[in-house]
Amino acid sequence: MNEQTFGIRKIVYYSEEILLENGVSPAVPAVRATAAAVVTNPWLGGGATDDLGEEVVQLAPVLARKLTDVLVANLGGVEAIEAFGKAALVGTDGEIEHGAALIHTPFFGNLVREYFDGESIICFADDRGDAGGSLVVPLWHKNAAATRSHYQTISTRIGDAPRPGEIVVVLGASTGPRPHSRIGDRRTDPVVKADTLGELVS
Amino acid sequence: MSIRKIVTLTEDVLIEGGREVSPAARVAVVAAIVKNPWAGQGFVEDLSAGIDVNASDIGALLAPRVLEALGSPAEAYGKAAIVGLNGEIEHGSGLIHTLAFGNHFRDAANATTLLPAVEKRGPAGVVFDIPLKHITDATIRSHHQSIEVRINDAPHADEIVIALAAAAQGRPQQRLAAFSTEAK
Repeated sequence: MNEQTFGIRKIVYYSEEILLENGVSPAVPAVRATAAAVVTNPWLGGGATDDLGEEVVQLAPVLARKLTDVLVANLGGVEAIEAFGKAALVGTDGEIEHGAALIHTPFFGNLVREYFDGESIICFADDRGDAGGSLVVPLWHKNAAATRSHYQTISTRIGDAPRPGEIVVVLGASTGPRPHSRIGDRRTDPVVKADTLGELVS
Repeated sequence: MSIRKIVTLTEDVLIEGGREVSPAARVAVVAAIVKNPWAGQGFVEDLSAGIDVNASDIGALLAPRVLEALGSPAEAYGKAAIVGLNGEIEHGSGLIHTLAFGNHFRDAANATTLLPAVEKRGPAGVVFDIPLKHITDATIRSHHQSIEVRINDAPHADEIVIALAAAAQGRPQQRLAAFSTEAK
């Protein structure tokens, strides 16, 4: 695959390592990161009923490969990655469906799971906006999506992308849980229903 | 030195002006979000004690990290101090405008020139541009460039973002006449 074919203009990596939260070092340290690719929207000028499939097959796997490579190289290997998420920000000449097409099919998601050795559905955000728009990328556990300690987000932004005719495709990952995660889990939750709460919600 | 968070950013430009950039042009930034050493103290006349305690340690932390993130020898570099809303701009300047801070980067990069800098005050999420110039000759026009940074939740009002930036090359598609051809 010649990446020039689909015009990857830029690849941006962003990571955050939390040393202190509320003044205390996290018991389980984690690095959260995003890798983002800025690509030319291959469907510019198309209609609202056009089949998007051909370009998805050509472009989405290349993005999955490149973005997982960047995150694996920077975060210390596949085993270090515990949580993942994805996002697309479509430039203002594009359709929301164009971003969805690049991240919500097996040609992206299945490959991300394969390269990250994960099984979960991948949580996501998608939006349309101008260059410099900030996007909050949700993350959850790559093998056990209901693991509450790993519900977290990372914000990402590229100053000059997406141009109106571009799409920013983002993959996020974390090597651990939220700092100081301490709100229980499904195994420890009490039974909560409206009638068990009584007057509080009456 | 109290550091809340360390942020790493790299940008690889593969296409500029519609043409391929080969190899991809990389600029890297590493930022430490530190507690403002003078927070809550009112106007501190002599900043030297806070500078002496913190500036060298922050420089020593950031310099190897930004070069590792760059992954190639640095050809251009720059620095930043972004002060949270309760602080003085002078607090940020104090931490970065001392040889105790910058020499860690100069020595690690085999550099000789002064580091260009941005100093400003702003809220968490403020956008700032770090200027970069050539590491041994600040007149080399091809290497004048900048990189844009934003950290969503920093600086808090009593924090300072201290950052270093490094580029492995000049601007993508740089093609201006050299300074030396004009300066006659």
